[in-house]
Amino acid sequence: MPDTLTHPTVTAVTLDLTINGRRQRVQADPGARLLDVLRDGLMLTGAKEGCGAGECGTCSVFVDGKLIKSCLMPAAKAQGAEVETVEGLARTGDLTAVQKAFHKTGASQCGYCIPGMVMAATATLRDNPDADIEEIKERMGGNICRCTGYSKIFEAVEIARDVIAGRLPHTALDPEAVGNSFIGHNTRRLDAPSKVTGRLRYAGDMVMPGMLHMQVLRSPHAHAKIVSIDTTEAEAYPGVHCVLTCDDVPGEDGFGVFVEDQPVMARDKVRHVGEAVAAVAADSVRTAREAMALIRVEYDELPGLFDPEDALKSGAPVIHDYAADNVVKHIPVRKGDIAAGFSAADVILEESFSTQQVEHAYLEPEAGLAYVDHDGVVTVVSPSQNITHHRHMLSHIIAKPINKVRFIMSPVGGGFGGKEDMIYQGMLALAAMKTRRPVKLVFTREESFVASAKRHPSRTRCRMGLTKAGRITAVEFEMLSDGGAYGMSSEGVMRKAAILSCGPYEIENLKVDTKVVYTNNTPSGAFRTFGGMQAQFATESMMDMAAERLGMDPFEIRRVNMMRAGSLTHTQQKLASAAIDRVLDAAEGASGWEKGAPSVRGESRGDLDGPGTRRPCTLGARVRETATDRFRP
Amino acid sequence: MKRKLRGRGVAASWYGIARTATIDRAGAWAELDDGGTAKIVTGVTEIGEGILTVLAQVAAEELGIRPEDVTIGDNDTARSPEAAHAGATRQTYMIGNSVALAAREARGKLFAEIADHWEVSAEQLRAFNGEIWVEDTNKRMTMGEAVARCKARGVVPVGAASFTAHGTGLDPVDGSGSPWQAYVFGTQVAEVEVDTVTGEVQVLGIWAAHDVGRVINPRGVEGQIEGGVAQGLGQALMEEWQTDKGHPVTHGFAKYILPTSLDIPEITSILVEDRDPKSPLGAKGIGEPALVPTAPAIMNAIYDAIGVRMKSLPATPEKVLAALAAKEGAAA
Repeated sequence: MPDTLTHPTVTAVTLDLTINGRRQRVQADPGARLLDVLRDGLMLTGAKEGCGAGECGTCSVFVDGKLIKSCLMPAAKAQGAEVETVEGLARTGDLTAVQKAFHKTGASQCGYCIPGMVMAATATLRDNPDADIEEIKERMGGNICRCTGYSKIFEAVEIARDVIAGRLPHTALDPEAVGNSFIGHNTRRLDAPSKVTGRLRYAGDMVMPGMLHMQVLRSPHAHAKIVSIDTTEAEAYPGVHCVLTCDDVPGEDGFGVFVEDQPVMARDKVRHVGEAVAAVAADSVRTAREAMALIRVEYDELPGLFDPEDALKSGAPVIHDYAADNVVKHIPVRKGDIAAGFSAADVILEESFSTQQVEHAYLEPEAGLAYVDHDGVVTVVSPSQNITHHRHMLSHIIAKPINKVRFIMSPVGGGFGGKEDMIYQGMLALAAMKTRRPVKLVFTREESFVASAKRHPSRTRCRMGLTKAGRITAVEFEMLSDGGAYGMSSEGVMRKAAILSCGPYEIENLKVDTKVVYTNNTPSGAFRTFGGMQAQFATESMMDMAAERLGMDPFEIRRVNMMRAGSLTHTQQKLASAAIDRVLDAAEGASGWEKGAPSVRGESRGDLDGPGTRRPCTLGARVRETATDRFRP
Repeated sequence: MKRKLRGRGVAASWYGIARTATIDRAGAWAELDDGGTAKIVTGVTEIGEGILTVLAQVAAEELGIRPEDVTIGDNDTARSPEAAHAGATRQTYMIGNSVALAAREARGKLFAEIADHWEVSAEQLRAFNGEIWVEDTNKRMTMGEAVARCKARGVVPVGAASFTAHGTGLDPVDGSGSPWQAYVFGTQVAEVEVDTVTGEVQVLGIWAAHDVGRVINPRGVEGQIEGGVAQGLGQALMEEWQTDKGHPVTHGFAKYILPTSLDIPEITSILVEDRDPKSPLGAKGIGEPALVPTAPAIMNAIYDAIGVRMKSLPATPEKVLAALAAKEGAAA
């Protein structure tokens, strides 16, 4: 039975709704939100739950013609209302002009925000069929997309607007004709129709007969010894099928991308706030939550480490026994002789830079479904970015041969590296094995934030020597990163940061050290660029500072130093080709760059505000008042 | 000082394609199927970047059919060959090339049968967009007919392939090594407007030139660049996961601020093709490299506008105002 609709201790309310033109009567928990009724009661899973707090827009639907966030509306408040969901937009089976335009422009990527985006775009054009681009942007400002950068979405809404208004022919929505090759052709995304209609089912949209629901008890402490865990009451709670702790792991416990230092659930101690400590599988999410509150964990708090510099001090608390110095990894790169390089320099610059911890913020929170099949194969369906490695790790965790472990990668609603870590699939597999029932887990947004890895924050010190002509003679580069509580991808991130550190320049003398340490902060892991961005932020800032000092144009100083065919990289690899010259030329030409040293010349530049720029944004000024303005209270 | 000041900045970047400092590999199976369709099976899939469409284009090109005729099979460790992970800007390069090679093998089997049927050499055959023909003749049939003919002769046209990228590990002392066999380069220019009263920075334009090897799907590449720029902009100006003694402070979207439609600059993408000589497709990748130069280009533009060097990300309004105050204090 759908989860939130039935619970032994509450009386359901009866709701009469018109859903996509059809009158329907549904039973709902009095606490249910409209989103729950749509998703769990009516299986209309096009509306997604991205945050549960009205902040992301993935759950957008029309109620009596008004666009609302269905995660904020109590279902009972929709009594008697007409509800239109993404599934109802194109009832004949054909796509609407808005959906076709999204398909045409490539406006969907992971697709998780797209049903909500399509609803917001539809609302925009229903409210004002002549909305200009500025108004479109403002009206869609309540919907977050993490993949597309919004540009293709704007383009789609403008095309749809013009087709609907008859300013563009319907053929503007047709696919592009192909010439003599499909390589280089703007083939429309094959998965777009399933995304713009809300048909695509992500892990959190999947159901299986007899499915149980998991909830995870998480650590309230950053660093603490676990004295005891008492699950007796929780296990006895009606509707509970199993309670898991680290004692339920039959094999070799530990996962991680480079070092397998993280237990499926905390073992002996917790190392960060939000770490999984125990899990409950029950008939409903609500029952699982109630049972979770009955698990008694006794902690003995330990001194914590919250700053990477502190982690390196002697006498610092040790977070993992195997790493007494708290160092996860140090990567050195050496080339030439930096002492000689600096003595050949006419100018030497030295600066420090820092970058912050960044959340992936994919719109799809982590979710998964596990079951044991008829052949005894333990199967986990989840938006994992690395099913191959997860299969290996789960096989030793549950002590089964590789071919008795199966991972299926469900559609990923945004990953960016954040779904490479096996932070919940182990618990799901163990629960499915223990209960012999399918078990599903869906993270809340807060849970996703606290439990998943972030981009490594970094502190970089960079010393750069150059000749008067702008040629770099030496670089000394040191980066310290906070890896947080577990190793995850830290080692690889430091390696990539070190290899790429000094940028696309041929530098004869360099000394690079990147180091990552354990702390009791939220773990850092893989995130799009894998350390490359943090390192090159420092280097590219230095390049401009050097250009100002030497009175050189920033493109010019980069050309003086850039790698060429035959150049030796920082790790002394000989390059067969290097297109840095071509991309510098292309960016300079396309932007109409006015040459000059980067010495605060913004006010006198002649190349500003040209083609390729937008108008600055002033909030509220752009939504046109129309005769049928439904936004007015 | 004027309240709102504009400036421009540039940043360059480089990046490696596929797994770092190790050998990388991916496998795929292909079958030319009834009706001139095809099945492609590989172990990894879409995380939003458009790889399914890229693989369908690659398979269609190699097999002489259309992308919509291609069915991409499961991302399932028990049903498909290993393709490892969806990351490291490796999908187009690793999986794309393994699919191209697998499709070539399947095509070779079909071409051998059809060449024999038409009594020509396989080298004279061409196939594209659902048809197969002998160059400079009237011999022509649909790919559906060709598959039926091939099967009537007792052959199912299937192929399997593995593609390898030969990265090497780094020396533990001096870090020397060849971590990747393919590199890409990028340059972005940013134009910003800084409000010197509120400290708010708006990015008005980004010109992003990226080498991608060979463009398979131009719109797909642009979409990756636009998304990368948006994430780079978020990191540059607003996003920050904050904790207090390990306890999260920014635990939801109300506290963790992300770029929305109103924050996005006009983005002009320029796709540069420096083909990879070590792979059948010549394509490289764009997923991760797209966001590397964005934040430094924006910081360089802020400096150009107001003369303060933002060395700590993100450049929030508070930090920009503090830096401006420090600069004015120093000047006074």
